Amino acid sequence: MRPGFLLGEVGNGLRRNFSMFVSVVLVTMVSLFFLGVGLLAQAQVNTAKGEWYDRVQVSIFLCTPDSTDAPGCAGGAVTPEQRDQVESDLQGLEPLVTEYFYESNEEAYERFTEQFRNSSALDSVPQESIPASFRVNLSDPSRYEVIRAAFEQAPGVDSVEDQREVVDRLFAFLGALSWGALALAVAMVVCAVLLISTTIRLTAWTRRRETAIQRMVGASAFSIHLPFILETVAAALLGAALAVALLWATVRFGISGFLSELLAGESGLVSLVGERDLWLITPFLVGGAILLAVVTAWMALLRHVRV
Amino acid sequence: MITMERVSLRYAKGDPWALEDVDLDVTRGEFCFVVGESGSGKSSLLRLVILEQRPTSGRVLVAGHDLGELAPRRVHLLRRQIGTVFQDFRLLSGKTVAQNVAYVLQVLGASRHEIKQRVPETLALVGLDGKGKRLPHELSGGEQQRVAIARAMVNKPPILLADEPTGNLDPDTSQDIVAILDRINRAGTTVVMATHDTTIVDRFRKRVVQLHDGVVVRDQAEGGYREVVAP
Repeated sequence: MRPGFLLGEVGNGLRRNFSMFVSVVLVTMVSLFFLGVGLLAQAQVNTAKGEWYDRVQVSIFLCTPDSTDAPGCAGGAVTPEQRDQVESDLQGLEPLVTEYFYESNEEAYERFTEQFRNSSALDSVPQESIPASFRVNLSDPSRYEVIRAAFEQAPGVDSVEDQREVVDRLFAFLGALSWGALALAVAMVVCAVLLISTTIRLTAWTRRRETAIQRMVGASAFSIHLPFILETVAAALLGAALAVALLWATVRFGISGFLSELLAGESGLVSLVGERDLWLITPFLVGGAILLAVVTAWMALLRHVRV
Repeated sequence: MITMERVSLRYAKGDPWALEDVDLDVTRGEFCFVVGESGSGKSSLLRLVILEQRPTSGRVLVAGHDLGELAPRRVHLLRRQIGTVFQDFRLLSGKTVAQNVAYVLQVLGASRHEIKQRVPETLALVGLDGKGKRLPHELSGGEQQRVAIARAMVNKPPILLADEPTGNLDPDTSQDIVAILDRINRAGTTVVMATHDTTIVDRFRKRVVQLHDGVVVRDQAEGGYREVVAP
């Protein structure tokens, strides 16, 4: 079969079964999109874990007039002396404490108002209830307990928080997202397989006369099957391209844009999956789509097209 | 060209035999009518030749291939040596006459040049020159069958099988169709035609193989239909 004729046959097939073609494109797109989301979420967990842990800080929140529960806040809001004591204790903990900075009550309130600028609850929060804090970087973040033991009961200290807990919650969420997306991807792949199989059966039926003639005149099984396979691969490739475009938009505008801005505002964490991670998984998505199309189409052809 | 040795066929266990102990030898360049009433096994016999069906027992040899030993992936090579014509023409309704005939060559990977040369040649052979641009529904039944013959012959196979090719045609047109098959045969192609058209068989006086309930009951050179004797 010459390439020109083969392409003509493929084109005719696509025109005749256009709606089925579109449905295979869409179902492939959705399944690969979920697969991509799952893979990117995994990549996020794997690549960011070390870096995030290194960058997270321990926060030592100082007492506000509202904090009464903590033993160190018995005297009400933190005094300048208590604050200086905490600072000098921190200096005494070098080299475990590699760096620290002080966020004053005004700075904290400013950040808070910026972060919740769209929330109506903001008006009811007085500036005094937003605590000042020391943000502490550790040479070994796993030794957080040392800081906690040293400052938890200290006068003027309301609480000591390890940001790793926040990050761990984020990782747990990402892990769940990843597995959820992969599970959906598997379900969608099953749909894709069934749909491709049905499409082949319908296409074979609409083209039964042509295939009967091809058999009769001695076309090989391969050349009879080839147009069907190429049509399926074309649909799968288009679906894969759309899925990659959708993932790119998600990464570009959703993660690199919106989410990283949000997280950067929250904790200074900006190491998120980016376009590079997407280009790394793209060959697998496209390769997977082609493999899925070829294998499924081949199996369906063996069942539905006699050669 | 076509040899059958003690060939029997039944479609399912417990079914009656569609063919039973058939011995047949059709030599190169021969024209052979296979006659018999409906259900006598004519079509089954032709199906064995193109390997649409494998026999339950016995040996079939076609154009040098022992079909029992022919691997499924090589069946297409056998079919390239056999042209086939059916009662219902089986043309592609959306393609013109020339496109229907060219389709075979395209499927088999012939060059544009070859197609340009062979299609008009073959249409002329069946008396359809000048009608290449017509669509099948614009043609009479006889003309459609000529297109089917052209399609079967465009690849120049050494064997032509025709399964009731005149079944849908009036007597005059039928004669024209068989005259074309005769002409093709005279040019060297082995022709096997299954039919129950009495007039045709009587008129052309070719070899007649008569089947009854799957058994060959007569194999006669230059026979007629009326000489058919119920066993």
